[in-house]
Amino acid sequence: MLKRMLAVVVGVLFLAGCQDNSGAGGEPGAAADENYFSGKTITYVIATDPGGGYDTYGRMISRHMQKYLPGSRIIIRNVPGAGHIVGANTIYASRGDGLTIGMFNTGLIYNQLLQLEGVNFDLTNMSWVGKASNEIRVMLVATNSPYKSFEDMLAADEPVKFAASGVGSAAYLDTRILDTVYPEFDIETIAGFAGAEGELSMMRGELSAQVGIASSYDQFVANGNGYFALAMSQLAADLYPDVPVAQDYATTEEGLQLLGLLEALSDLGRLTVGPPGIPADILAVLRDAHSKAVNDPELLAEAMQIHIPITEGSGEYVEQRIIEALNQPAEIVALLGQAATSQ
Amino acid sequence: MHLDVAFGTLFNLLTDPYLIGLMLIAVPLGAFFGAMPGLGGKLGVVLLIPFVFGMEPIAGAVLLLAMHSVVHTGGSIPSILFGIPGDGTSTAVVLDGYEMTRNGEGGRALGASFGASGIGGVLGAVFLGMLLPVLEPIVLAFSPAEFFLLAILGITFIATLSGKNVVKGLVLGLLGLMVAFVGLDPSTGGPRYTFGHLFLWDGIDIITAVLAMYAIPEMIALGSGQGAVDYGDGASKRYKISEVWGGIMDVFRHWKLTLRTSLIGAVIGLIPGLGGDAASWICYGHAVQSSKTPERFGKGAVEGVIAPETANNSKEGGALLPTLFFAVPGSSGMALLLGAFLMLGIQPGPTIVTENLDLVWTLIWALAVANVLCVVILVALTPWLGSLANVRPPLLIPFVLVFALLGSYLSSAAWENLILIFFLGCLGYMCRRHSWPRPPFVIGVVLGPVAEDSLHKALALWGPSFFLRPLSLILIAMIIGSIVFYVWRTRRENALEGIGHD
Repeated sequence: MLKRMLAVVVGVLFLAGCQDNSGAGGEPGAAADENYFSGKTITYVIATDPGGGYDTYGRMISRHMQKYLPGSRIIIRNVPGAGHIVGANTIYASRGDGLTIGMFNTGLIYNQLLQLEGVNFDLTNMSWVGKASNEIRVMLVATNSPYKSFEDMLAADEPVKFAASGVGSAAYLDTRILDTVYPEFDIETIAGFAGAEGELSMMRGELSAQVGIASSYDQFVANGNGYFALAMSQLAADLYPDVPVAQDYATTEEGLQLLGLLEALSDLGRLTVGPPGIPADILAVLRDAHSKAVNDPELLAEAMQIHIPITEGSGEYVEQRIIEALNQPAEIVALLGQAATSQ
Repeated sequence: MHLDVAFGTLFNLLTDPYLIGLMLIAVPLGAFFGAMPGLGGKLGVVLLIPFVFGMEPIAGAVLLLAMHSVVHTGGSIPSILFGIPGDGTSTAVVLDGYEMTRNGEGGRALGASFGASGIGGVLGAVFLGMLLPVLEPIVLAFSPAEFFLLAILGITFIATLSGKNVVKGLVLGLLGLMVAFVGLDPSTGGPRYTFGHLFLWDGIDIITAVLAMYAIPEMIALGSGQGAVDYGDGASKRYKISEVWGGIMDVFRHWKLTLRTSLIGAVIGLIPGLGGDAASWICYGHAVQSSKTPERFGKGAVEGVIAPETANNSKEGGALLPTLFFAVPGSSGMALLLGAFLMLGIQPGPTIVTENLDLVWTLIWALAVANVLCVVILVALTPWLGSLANVRPPLLIPFVLVFALLGSYLSSAAWENLILIFFLGCLGYMCRRHSWPRPPFVIGVVLGPVAEDSLHKALALWGPSFFLRPLSLILIAMIIGSIVFYVWRTRRENALEGIGHD
């Protein structure tokens, strides 16, 4: 018992001192390519403060990637600010030697499509290392609201009040897109609900619904406070077979195309990425390490314990999906722009 | 209420050497992370989480909660000794705490701070234990409408905090509110006063603002020989335990204030959304306003230490309950703990009271016991802390400036803060030199965003009729009462002075 306590003290003080992830070292005698990272320090940039989902995923993935990059050290650098943009800019501007990688919100796809202020990156030519999870977009509806199904909401005479985080954030745009896709459905989006404030507001009966990532609402649903009225991705079919899918209600071609964006974002969760120009052989080593880390039984056990889903995707797959998602015709971008600026 | 469960769990906690041992590890760690500017308690919990993998649920939860609950107790140490707040919630204690150190009363200030933190933590926990049966309606009664009015109530304290210079106070208060407008407009998402700089999108960092208004001007003054600090003969000296004890006794001497600010802190913690920075500033304002001698504040009044410190710790108890009951965390720190609880196999939700009441009470008591332990440990260390503060100015100034800049940079990981601290520091120095009251400025910066954001939400939800909600009407009455009371007191003082002159 005493030993364990001592280990905790020593360990935490050590971690506090250098703010990195110690732990498993490398295995000697690995392949030649992998030795590129031997004796080197990789910086893993997380575009948020410590704590929260991105930080949890980033720290966990980097800790396990280190195991598969023999002799390397991966340190965490939190670069918060401007809704992930500062972190993304930081990664984009770093040197393409494989020693800086990181994670930010895939919702920045919107920022690039709309050419919003602050964007100093081009997602299409970044070095995508891999994905760790799906982020299935769903519509969460309060049990105490008058709406018992998505059809109820479509038939509603009055506007339906939705909570969203800051105006211009990914969650806000997800909501506005739905308002555009279904012309007969009037969504009143009330912004400024950070973290769990939206859920609380739903419990108080002020708001009826919000759009967000399914796994983050599991607890809220299990406690009987809400239900999923709509899923914005075909990926939901396995996990939530009873929830209707958004595409089935879309009546226009543009609507389906906009929903395609939500589908792509649902598929591209918790991506690890490096700046442009990482040489192909070094990128291949990183991708391999990421893939092994995400399939590592220890990582999977950890993720299971903290209730965060893991779905692996290769760097090549991510790159292709990102390029597809950003390749939108002008009229769809214009529609998205309208959705973003309407209330 | 189940008294047998309530006290049985306390007995079990106190007699379990393993749990007490874990708390003895967690408490100094929490205080250390809180006390180091820029590290902060959240990072501490993030780093500790991997170590609780595979622990018993209760043991792991007690370890993390004990660490989290004493972060603010440690955070007040650099605020009081050097005027450098360890985190946003420890900004209010700088005002009078650092002033007491300059008056040679640092030991007493630390004693009062530790005592107030401990009592606040215990009272917060006990108060919440009593609230268990009626928790849900209370938490759900507060909405953006009430947040807006609470923020306005806090802003009316500007008048009292201005001392004799109401006009100067209002000018700086409004300037603070304007500074609070820097950032993304909550209703349009458009950048406002950001001049193309991304780091301004998230607004002006509160720690940087307080460092610039207090730590920087004090060091300039000290360096240019206007500091008038009682550093004795320059030799480092220790604080006497009797001084520290005097500070703890102050908490009991002002027991009514202690009780009130503990309650206010716990309630603010209980309603997610208002934030810890607001809690300590509202309580500071309340202390000034309810004092018979408000002119002593800002010059080293011990009540100015007690009020924010009780609130800091009692609000953590408040924030714990919504986290456990609704799985809805009241603060980012609690969001971290919620994740850790899930990992340990603790399933938060409304059924936790019926199915796991033991656990709830164990956690409530762990919060209380950790606070008491922290006070004992820190009081024992205080004499040595004194030697840190009583260093000769030529040695002290570079040290404090380095920590101030470090704290400012690390608080939002932006180097641009260093430029900001320079400009705001100049403003702070001018204010100090020409005796303009600085607290109104900080109140504006802290409460401005809360007021603006919740006003938008309240208007979107109910339109202007939100003023007519029952709880809103009570708060409006309190705001009017606050202003009327201020005017009445000022007139009476003027009248009394008039008599004196005759």
